[in-house]
Amino acid sequence: MTGKIAARLKELGLELPPAPPPAANYIGYVTTGKLVHVAGVGPTWGKDIRYAGKVGKTLSFEDGYAAARLTALNLLAHMTVACDGDLDRIDRCVKLLCLVNTTADFVDAQKIANGATDVLTEIFGRDDRPARSTTASPSLPFDIAFEADAVFLLR
Amino acid sequence: MSHDARIAALKLELPAPATPAANYVPTVIAGNLLFVAGQIPVFNGEVKFLGKLGADVDLETGVQAARLCGLNIISQARAALGGSLDRVKRCVKVGGFVNCTPDFINHPQVVNGASDLMVEVFGDAGKHARFAVGAVSLPRGVAVEVDAIFEIA
Repeated sequence: MTGKIAARLKELGLELPPAPPPAANYIGYVTTGKLVHVAGVGPTWGKDIRYAGKVGKTLSFEDGYAAARLTALNLLAHMTVACDGDLDRIDRCVKLLCLVNTTADFVDAQKIANGATDVLTEIFGRDDRPARSTTASPSLPFDIAFEADAVFLLR
Repeated sequence: MSHDARIAALKLELPAPATPAANYVPTVIAGNLLFVAGQIPVFNGEVKFLGKLGADVDLETGVQAARLCGLNIISQARAALGGSLDRVKRCVKVGGFVNCTPDFINHPQVVNGASDLMVEVFGDAGKHARFAVGAVSLPRGVAVEVDAIFEIA
């Protein structure tokens, strides 16, 4: 990987995981025109689930936040493939959907989701933050702690 | 084979496109994208597949519920495109909501009911990006809800 974003990742000490293999009958992303629709991803490194469980029960707030950060890096792992290795082709993240695996009484899902937005902001800058929806979920596939999908705009 | 011909060849009976349950529209076309609102497992007005995965709905029934949601999505898309699916270039995105208990983890298998249908009907053009999530409850108590985005010519 070369380019400004690759350099920025290096500067931040961030390494992208390999593009996660889809968990069922779907593909990692679909490009239509200048939009890339990325499938839901979780806090994984390849096939290894790094954060499993429920925030507020088996996982701390900090675990949830870290899960959100790693999940956002997995979105970029798919984008690396979608952009043929050149992340400078990304104009911005347009829309982010954040799903947090929590107990029913947990009310800080939006703060957990900031983990995803924060890491994207560190990489792409504050002016290019996405529109975002966040919801707490009673359960997520394979008990992952966090899931996100996104739409990115290409230049 | 055209998409319409494939539907006929597979002998798939599409439900009548359902009227929205509240203040929204079933489909919106924006440029080359067709957005289909969340569809529940209804067939010609009759709600099927009520309940919760991990409690009173087993995995296979959940898959069937997701498939019926998918049939409703295709029905809505066909109605939005004037009665033919042949303008569909591909299925872009599927969103799956599974009504389930907190300890349920097999959402991907359930939502495959809708994803498998897209590939059956549209072939390679049916392969899509997707998310799946658990929900505490869904409208009218259904087991699964699915929405989708298509690219159109």
